[in-house]
Amino acid sequence: MDIIQKDSEILRLHDETHEDIVKMTGISKSFPGVLALDNVSFNLRKGEVLALLGENGAGKSTLMKVLSGIYPRDSGDIEISGLKQEDFTTGKAKELGIVIIHQELNMCSHLSAAENIFLGREIIKRGVVSQDEMNQKAFEILSMLNIDIDPETIVGDLAVSKQQMVEIAKALSANAKILIMDEPTSALTSKEIEDLFRIIIDLKSRGCGIVYISHRLEEISLIADRVTIMRDGKYIATMNYADTSLQEIISLMVGREITEKFPKISCPKGEKIFEVKHLNAGRMVRDVSFELYKGQILGIAGLMGAGRTETTRAVFGVDPKESGEIILEGKPVTIRKPYDAIRNGLVLVPEDRKKDGLCTKLTVRENIAMPSLDVISNFFGVVNRQKEKMIVEKSIKDLSIRLPHSEVEAMSLSGGNQQKVVVSKWLARNSRVVIFDEPTRGIDVAAKVEIYHLMNDLKRRGIGVVFVSSEMPEILGVSDRIIIMCDGRITGELMAFEATQSLILTYATMFESKLSRSDAS
Amino acid sequence: MNEFSRREGRQKGNPLKRLLAIRGMGQVISVTIGLVALCIVFQILSSNFFSPDNLGNLLRQIAPYLIIGIAQSFVLITGNIDLSIGSIMGMSSMMAATMMTKGVHPAWAILITFMSCVFVGVVNGQLVAACKLPPFIATLGTMTIARGIAQIVNNNHNTDTISIGIGKETTEAFKNFFYYGKIFTLGGHQESNGSVIGGFSIYSPVIIAIALWIVFNFMLSKTRTGRHIYATGSNMDAARLSGVNVTGTITAAYVVSAICSCIAGLIVCATTGMGAMDTGNSYELYAVAASVIGGVSTLGGQGILLGTVIGAAVWSVLQNGLQFAGAPVAIRNIVIGVIVVLSVLLDVVIRSGSRRKAKDMGASALLGWISRKSSEKAAP
Repeated sequence: MDIIQKDSEILRLHDETHEDIVKMTGISKSFPGVLALDNVSFNLRKGEVLALLGENGAGKSTLMKVLSGIYPRDSGDIEISGLKQEDFTTGKAKELGIVIIHQELNMCSHLSAAENIFLGREIIKRGVVSQDEMNQKAFEILSMLNIDIDPETIVGDLAVSKQQMVEIAKALSANAKILIMDEPTSALTSKEIEDLFRIIIDLKSRGCGIVYISHRLEEISLIADRVTIMRDGKYIATMNYADTSLQEIISLMVGREITEKFPKISCPKGEKIFEVKHLNAGRMVRDVSFELYKGQILGIAGLMGAGRTETTRAVFGVDPKESGEIILEGKPVTIRKPYDAIRNGLVLVPEDRKKDGLCTKLTVRENIAMPSLDVISNFFGVVNRQKEKMIVEKSIKDLSIRLPHSEVEAMSLSGGNQQKVVVSKWLARNSRVVIFDEPTRGIDVAAKVEIYHLMNDLKRRGIGVVFVSSEMPEILGVSDRIIIMCDGRITGELMAFEATQSLILTYATMFESKLSRSDAS
Repeated sequence: MNEFSRREGRQKGNPLKRLLAIRGMGQVISVTIGLVALCIVFQILSSNFFSPDNLGNLLRQIAPYLIIGIAQSFVLITGNIDLSIGSIMGMSSMMAATMMTKGVHPAWAILITFMSCVFVGVVNGQLVAACKLPPFIATLGTMTIARGIAQIVNNNHNTDTISIGIGKETTEAFKNFFYYGKIFTLGGHQESNGSVIGGFSIYSPVIIAIALWIVFNFMLSKTRTGRHIYATGSNMDAARLSGVNVTGTITAAYVVSAICSCIAGLIVCATTGMGAMDTGNSYELYAVAASVIGGVSTLGGQGILLGTVIGAAVWSVLQNGLQFAGAPVAIRNIVIGVIVVLSVLLDVVIRSGSRRKAKDMGASALLGWISRKSSEKAAP
């Protein structure tokens, strides 16, 4: 009751139709070595859906984390409901009704819907939790939103979409006025998306401001009132959705100049050395086929969550495959575990070097030698230190890894040098195909160029190179041929000379139309 | 190039620096200093502590702790834990003793016992690595089962003395091989019946422990499997992606653990000349203590077997020295407990920088929690 009164007070103070409930001006935020947000302005009105768009790394999530108090800002002003906020923390954000719903839901899956909705705010009667009252209140909230969920159901038993709705109900029960949704539809079916949109429209009519982050441009056309576009940590434009077009949005998103120089070399296209045919592995790898020729670097482009990493993992045998064929130098090979792939000369430089690439507590020597131990140990499995030393020293020299000596722990190296260790692990073996998954993430420009040179060198030596990257300039600058993935499928293939950023982005956002499919059925 | 030559110079230079360059040596050296300090304290408290007689005895006492310490260290370095060590000792002791009281030749009895223990090790490894059970739970299960086997083999009774089955002479041979045999003696005086009393003796369990240590230290530091054990414990995902057979590696560590526990059980059996059902009770935890005092990390990937030697020595010196100093059992327990916790606390403080998630396993889960909390506090 008092909320409504407060709202009406504010209404009287401001222009009723274009009332900004969030106004951020001149927000900057830097992380060590990166300026993540550069003087960004952002506003959100009462009762609207604002689509926040941008490529990977444009700064959308960082901005929303600043808005929800997770990251403190370096400079800039935040105004919520007309009130200037100085010290903005997560607690403060919660108090002001700012709720963020992450792509990964944060629910206690063993508790009931009602218990989740009132988590941390349990209704206490006479010193004990009043289950009945919580169920009753939860029921009221859920039915207000026309969500058909029994409050006593265990959340883990619900479909993902229903869990998401419980999360929305939880947000509302906490008087959310500003709701931030990060890729809310990625796991939903067409029917569930419709339900979600119905609830979003309902929330709008209640005066909630909604920030909607999605790569699915077609969905945005259905619910967005306005769009704000960001690029490289900068604010680019805000437009009424009705006044713009998909082409305009895409061109604003990619308008980045390619300023870096890429050391591209051209080699004659050789024979086919590697082929993946109709690979299926879970939802994120669906009927993926591609070919790789000697003397070419094959780039795999796509947005976050397009299924590129999943594809490399399935090819390399880390994750199980459902079906599909892998052909190396004309011969089909069976790869069930990484060792099978390594034995056949197919290796993967994984995306996340801390998690998958390095044993950080072991020495550089042990890390580099690890995949080659079968080559350098004798029949009894005793490791030949002399051979090991040769391999390790050659790798360190070839990649000019800077370190005091090879007995230091991998953990103590800088990001770029760690990455070089991860790469060099594989070069000691005579591999025939090397898959690089985001090899330049989080390393400085000089180290990046060294990695590009290395890939070029492999290409010159006739070793197949697959290069997965989220950064369009480097994909365009290094690859000879580019395949583009979206939502677990390959949606396009381009030769380097015909590829442009906007063409790639067009393919990368070619989601299967979930909505029209449901209309047809 | 320049860097290489400088590095060569460093490695070939000062021998002390070369020693310190071995990973994990820092902790070993600091614990060794602690051990020396303990010995000095006990010598002051009781002048008999450094008597040749007691030193021989002390070494003999260290042996079983070292053997089970090796067992636990292997498993801990893979990032897991083995709670079944004590029960496998009990099972080994009871199986061997029961068979020998029934007249089975010791060689056969040992072989059958050995195979059974190896089997338990394989089961442990498969449950943890292939079935992905939390190691704490999996080995808690096998711990209980192995204890049950120890109880059932002789119908829920301790065995009679083994000499009733295999005769006095064979019994003596068995006991000497595993426990009473003196390899050589310095000093002491000869009795009229020819036996030597007093003096410093090296007893057979010391030789067994040294032999096991040499074999398994070689395995851990020089072979491919050893590297795989470290890699698995340090980062299982990275190891798998590097082509390491993680399941096989973890199983190998559990089998090594079972082999060592089996031999420790046989030593206890030889000591008493019979089988007792509660043999090895809570030894798995003494094994954790020996490993951890010696610098093996309960989070995996770190530690060397030289450290385990020092850890086992610290444990036994505390037991023996406190006994010599006349401390009652209760005081002994309290002092030892405090020292174990302090040494591990030191370990945690040193390693609190590492943010590896603690596995779901008793002590280390707690330690991991503490280290997470402390690092959270440290970070703004």
